[in-house]
Amino acid sequence: MTAQAFPILDPKTALFHDDYAANAADLPGAGLSWLQSRREAAIKAFARTGMPTRHVESWKYSDLSAALENDLEPATAFRAGVEVPAATEVGFSPVGATQITLVNGFLHLIGGAELSKFVDVVDLAQLSVRTPEWVEKHLGLHASAADQALGAASLALMRGGVAIRVRANTKEIPPLHLNFVNPSRGHGLMSHARVLLLLEEGASLDLVETHQGSGEYQLLANLGMEIVLHKNANLTHSRFQEEAGRTLHVTSIGAELSRDANYRALIANLGGRLSRLDMNIKLAEPGASATLRSVTALDGEAHADVTTVMDHAAPHTTSRELFKSVLVGRARSVSQGKVTVREGAVKSDSHQLFKALLLGPRAEADAKPELEIFADDVVCGHGTAIGALDADALFYLRSRGIPEWEARSMLVRAFLGDAIDGFVEGGILDALWQRIDRALDSIYGGAE
Amino acid sequence: MLEIKDLHVSVGGKEILKGVNLSVPAGEVHAVMGPNGSGKSTLSYTLAGRDGYEVTSGSILYKGEDLSSLSPDMRAAKGFFLALQYPVEIPGVATLMFLKTALNSQRRARGEAELGAMKVMKFVREKAKALNITEEMLRRPLNVGFSGGEKKRLEILQMEIFEPSLAVLDETDSGLDIDAIKLVAEGVNAMRSDTRAMVVITHYQRLLDYIVPQRVHVLRAGKIEKSGGPELAKELEKQGYENISGAAA
Repeated sequence: MTAQAFPILDPKTALFHDDYAANAADLPGAGLSWLQSRREAAIKAFARTGMPTRHVESWKYSDLSAALENDLEPATAFRAGVEVPAATEVGFSPVGATQITLVNGFLHLIGGAELSKFVDVVDLAQLSVRTPEWVEKHLGLHASAADQALGAASLALMRGGVAIRVRANTKEIPPLHLNFVNPSRGHGLMSHARVLLLLEEGASLDLVETHQGSGEYQLLANLGMEIVLHKNANLTHSRFQEEAGRTLHVTSIGAELSRDANYRALIANLGGRLSRLDMNIKLAEPGASATLRSVTALDGEAHADVTTVMDHAAPHTTSRELFKSVLVGRARSVSQGKVTVREGAVKSDSHQLFKALLLGPRAEADAKPELEIFADDVVCGHGTAIGALDADALFYLRSRGIPEWEARSMLVRAFLGDAIDGFVEGGILDALWQRIDRALDSIYGGAE
Repeated sequence: MLEIKDLHVSVGGKEILKGVNLSVPAGEVHAVMGPNGSGKSTLSYTLAGRDGYEVTSGSILYKGEDLSSLSPDMRAAKGFFLALQYPVEIPGVATLMFLKTALNSQRRARGEAELGAMKVMKFVREKAKALNITEEMLRRPLNVGFSGGEKKRLEILQMEIFEPSLAVLDETDSGLDIDAIKLVAEGVNAMRSDTRAMVVITHYQRLLDYIVPQRVHVLRAGKIEKSGGPELAKELEKQGYENISGAAA
């Protein structure tokens, strides 16, 4: 693999390509032919798109290439004995969870509640001929094609990550907390990591995923995540992204749901300079269902993009998507939701709703629903509403003695409430509201 | 209690109130009547301090204090209450939670101790019962799915909970049937006291059969055109606004 295969590369695309050309032989599992061929295919898939600019249709509102610096270095693992910046404010860790901490994409430690004996965890930085067969069977098959260019790059350039298997019919095990800590360390860094999550038949898991960052240098945190849900598997996934202010965060999720599998995800975007969640969900067999709720609360120059592709590939499949954003300052949210109903996928039922509150004169929200229907007898609905806080409601609350900041906070909470209610509770719910309040602090002005 | 002197108010650059004079002493209920577009709602929103209602000249004195620089929430804390013609539906804010937040915000602004949730609930329930407001309504989001009558009853409930010194009721009778008007009027009459003043704004005389005011004022084209006793309302009903003339009494 040399640069000659791609004679003309812009500097941003070259950043990944050169890394691959120089280091492919030293990447984890380099001697494994199955992995090598998947990495080769992935770097080619990435090159077809290149580093996304606005000229790539699905990246029309988010110019990753322009935001990216030229001189990012691949992150390396923290060595034993080196102090890892603490995730001081996790708060999102469920009580009694098993906590898997990854630093710059490298598995760092497994703590908290003891790992269930029905759950297997494999460190992707340590792939070898002894790697279990289920990893080889799945790793790199999702979130690695040209339609998820950064996902493809995360496989080609994968330095670390974890593969997790929950064995068949495992239920009521402690929640799993994937705790990503992303410090930038004295210079700009890029990390490429993968997560493979396999729930075997009838297994259930409550997964919490947090991303926290620190540091003054640019960091590109690039994560590819594969979610495979076998028949009757049940995954609840709560994701809290609060990267540092200069971080570019990209997660590409590829999920495949078998018969009667159920996937519920809460996506909270609370930080970072630019974040992109690229989510492809395939409802592959009858009875599969997916519920997505996205909550974005941002100030300053932050930009969060949630782009989903919901693929109804089988009859009697259901999807629900709700996107809500509250934006202050010059913050911007992008919500793109494509729903595809394939030929023969009758009785597919999908609904999408996009809502945004713009609380700064220069805040911006872009919402783009898209439907591609190739089957009859389906129900596909969508709606969009973007606006400011309701002046009548604000006056009404204030006329009852409620101070302006508190009235605003009540209306924001009321707006976001239906995306959050019923998904998280207790300490995590409190932590989420606290982060949202903090993200929007500037509009509450006199808040004590 | 309330002294309005030569009040001029513009909305969006257009002058709506053109020199209103009105004096309402403590212990009295006054009615302000007028045709559509006469400035009735502008008067009530101006008193409440809504953004966009600009006092260009004149003054509003409440207990001798000029209100014009105070925010709506500060006016509420000082004992001013406006029952809205169109109470706002606010999905996602539970009615009982709203009542507790509002009551405690007012208390906090006055330097009084906040009341605990149980105490507020007990207090609210007692008063709600008399207005035929059910537990189920209090659990619902604020005004969402309430009928016109239920919304107005909830406004009266708020007045009873906040115990204001000065209450303005803006067309509280609009959209209500006669039973609902009686229920609202009972609530208002129960609030009459020597230390409280009330202004009832209405288009029709009907409400004043049940809330009998000490004085009636006719607002037309941004000015109080005529004032008189309760009989003035009857006169208006018979003759219509077009045929009422004469200087303010």
